[in-house]
Order: sequence, then C-alpha cells, then structure tokens
Amino acid sequence: MSLHPDYPLPETDNPITKPFWDGCRQHKLMLQRERDTGVVHWPPKPAYWKGGKLEWFEATGHGEVYSYVVGYEPFLPAFRELLPHIMVLVQVDEGPRLVGYMVNCRPDEMGFGMKVRVVFKRLTDRVTLPVWEPDR
Amino acid sequence: MSGTIDRDLFRRIQDKVAIVGIGHLPFAKDIGRPISDTAVEAIQLALGDAGLQAEDVDGMCMFEMEHTHEVTIARRLGVQNLQWWDKTSYGGGASCATIMHAAAAIVTGLATTVVCHRARNRGAKTSRPWAQERELVIDDKALHVPWGLIRPVDVIGMWAHRHMHDYGTTREHLGNVAIAARKHAQRNPHAMMRGRRLDMETYLNARVIGYPLHLYDCCLETDGALACIVTSVERARDLKQKPALVHAIAQASGPNPVHLANYNTPAMQTTAVPCAQQLWARSELQPADMDCAQIYDAFTPLVIMGLEDYGFCKRGEGGPFTEGGRIELGGELPVLTSGGGLSEAYVHGFNLILEGVRQIRGTSTAQVPNCKATLVTGASGVATSAMVLRAA
Repeated sequence: MSLHPDYPLPETDNPITKPFWDGCRQHKLMLQRERDTGVVHWPPKPAYWKGGKLEWFEATGHGEVYSYVVGYEPFLPAFRELLPHIMVLVQVDEGPRLVGYMVNCRPDEMGFGMKVRVVFKRLTDRVTLPVWEPDR
Repeated sequence: MSGTIDRDLFRRIQDKVAIVGIGHLPFAKDIGRPISDTAVEAIQLALGDAGLQAEDVDGMCMFEMEHTHEVTIARRLGVQNLQWWDKTSYGGGASCATIMHAAAAIVTGLATTVVCHRARNRGAKTSRPWAQERELVIDDKALHVPWGLIRPVDVIGMWAHRHMHDYGTTREHLGNVAIAARKHAQRNPHAMMRGRRLDMETYLNARVIGYPLHLYDCCLETDGALACIVTSVERARDLKQKPALVHAIAQASGPNPVHLANYNTPAMQTTAVPCAQQLWARSELQPADMDCAQIYDAFTPLVIMGLEDYGFCKRGEGGPFTEGGRIELGGELPVLTSGGGLSEAYVHGFNLILEGVRQIRGTSTAQVPNCKATLVTGASGVATSAMVLRAA
C-alpha cells in the first residue's frame, strides 16, 4: 500500500536521533547509553551532553506493554489503514519506554505486561519505523 | 532548589499582588472574528470590571501558540506605552505562568498594571493541532508522531490507562469528574454545556474517542477570549472589585517536559509533581486549606492525577477521592466550579483563572460559601504552572 501524502514523517538527519533512524533502516533497534554507567537514555541526549560519554548500541528488540490506547476512528487519513490503531508504550528490556504501534494484534489480545518484539516497517527510502508485535 | 533571592521574590509577591479585573467574551463554536480582535474586547471588559482604562496598562503577558502580537493588541486597545511584555509557551501549561510573570514584573517595578490574556479560536475542526501535521516532524515529536500518537486524548490516554491498571481507577471515577463539571456548568449561564445534563449511564455509553477515553472524558473545543488585570494590592484598594490575592505561584518543567520523556519518569510522573512541590513550599496555605480547586481538565484523568499531584490525596487515591459527591458543590473539595474545560469552555485553562477569581470575590454561579482560598492549575502534560488565590 502506498504511503498517504500527508503521513507525518520524521526528520531523520537530526544529529541527536540520526543513529536511531539509521539503525531502523538496517532493521536494528538502536538505543543510547552512558559509556561509564550503562544508563540508557530515552529520548536520546545530544552527543555533547555532560561531556559526551554516550554510545549507541543495538537493543534486543524485546519488551513489554507498559500502556496502550486504541483509536477506532480515522482522525488523520494517513493512519486509516491501521484501524483499529493500537498505540503502545513499550518498556523495552533495556529499560526505556518507547512509543510505537502494534501489528499482527487485535485490541482484545492486548494486556499490560504483554511480551512484544520489534518488527520494522518501511515507509519510505528514508524512513523505517520500529513497530511491535506480540512475542508469542 | 530555590535560593534566597528566589524566596525573597515570592515573599514579595505573596498577598501583595492581586487580580483586580476579569472579562471574557461569550464562548462559541465559531466566534467569527480573529483572536487579535477578540482579545482586545476581552481586555476591555476586564479593564471595565476593574475600573481601569487602557491608558493605565503598561504591561502585557500572554500565551504563545498562535501568532498574535502584544503591540497589535495594545495599539487596538489604546495602550499608550507598554513598558514590559512577555509570552509563555506550552499551551495550557502557561495559564498561571502569565500571572506569575505579571506578579514578578509588578513587585520588581517593571510594570504597574499588567493585562494577562488568552484568546483562541479552536472550535473549527481544521484548527486542531493534529489536523496540521504536514511538515517533517522534528525534535521530540519525531519520536511519537510518526506512530500516530498525536492527539492529546491519546497522549493522555497512555497515562490514564496505566493509572487505571496500577491503581484500579475506573471509568466511573473518570465519570465522576465529568459529571461534577457538568453539574456546575448547569448553574453557569456562560457554560457551553448549560442545559445539557450528564448522568453516569450516558457517560458510560458514550462513544470511544481513544480507548480507554470516551467522549465525555474530553474537553470541549471552543473559541474564546479572556483577560484579567493584575496589579499591586496597594493599587487594588482604589479599584472597583474585591481583589483576589496571589498567595503562592509556581512554574515547573520537571527534568523531562515533553510527553515522551514524562513517559520515561519512573511512575510516569507529570510536570504537576514538581510544580506542586514548589507551590506548596512557597505557600502558607496547604491543600487542606483550599475551599475549592480549579484543576486543569483537558481530560478527566488529568483531574484525578491532579488531585494526587497537588496533594489532596495520595498517589493512586485520586479515583476514590471523586466518590460520594466530594468534588461537587457542597462536597469537601468542589472542583471546576464553572464547568471547566469539560463543560464551560476549553480555552487552555484561562477560564479556570477567572473562576478562581470569582470564587474569591464570592460571585461564582457555583459559589462555595465563604471561599477563602482556591487552587488553580495549568496543564500537567507539558511544562506547567499553578497558583493559590486567596481572599484579603
């Protein structure tokens, strides 16, 4: 299915988040941590943050549902094909909570703490989104 | 957090600055005029209420979200010379911040008579922020908007749903908030929802907007223009109205003042938590001293979380707190006595400030008998603000 012309695509060349979007294109979920402490930051910090002791690493791509909401009506035409649109806050195994949406899942299958895994959805040459499916 | 100088300033503000005039145009779905005109009319009403003239105004403080300019408004109003002006961002988080900045300007001598105002045309569907996502999404929004998490109802729904999961907050609890606001609106001739009663059955059977939130969990979409006039208490003595004293006031962003980052605080804490800490630290009055509360209500769960965050009950107890009519007129802590954003008008919470002033004056249409103090809060999902108003 072709992408709706009004789809709100993200900027992917912002230096703060570029490694994340570059990773998505290669089907890798990249997160940022402090080199010394291992503390994972989300949303990511700029490279100059507190002296720049940050590094990107590939996450496992596994997590669980921390919260979710379900849209049943198309408020934006760009998201019509996703209805019912299960927007999810995934607490990934590395700690942070990432916003995403569910695929291969019905609203009645959703639950708090449900295990999910990342899948990658290509939108354009530039943009691939990490989305989530039940880790059955 | 607050140093000596900071505390001094807030001590100089405490009960020394007052809101002395209020005014607003009739709320509407389509007000039919641009906000640079409606703002002027609302300010004229507020000046008239205070017994002041445009020539008395030397300061102006407003929200920034749409493109309006102080000098345009001041010129149309007939202000001779603004000596000081200020804009605060972050939508509904900024409501009380306008008063805080005005108060700081007044006690430091930057201005004597400050207009704070909010005019917004939001009734038309095309005016909604999410109908305008066209450009490349940048900064923090790029980490949630591309997945469709755009509408405030969905952003807040994430918080609400987790709150329901963690604490057993029910739809009936949310309904108590909607029904309290609607009941109060029945007494308010200006309320958009006057004449449209709401019972629990209707509340529960309403259509879903963004599960778990339904129609009556959501605020209205309204065109409106509101203003208030802030000056020193000394000056207020010569004016027409009983002053509403600014007792304590605070702004707070917290460490992570965007939705996404707030989602990443340990318990999905909102910005109201640090704001409440600052506010009560600066206040001689405490939550138990509030006779009513105007808690920002873009969505019903924000009121339940606000009751917790501002210390009326413990975290997780906000749902049960709403039971038994406690938050209705006649209850222990009436909230949203004008109907609020849910049932009076949604104008980024500025109507909550006006209602706080009316409660202190004793002129609310849902007047709490002998109201001595009230809390007014801004939106808790973004960088926020709050204040305590008290009677002299």
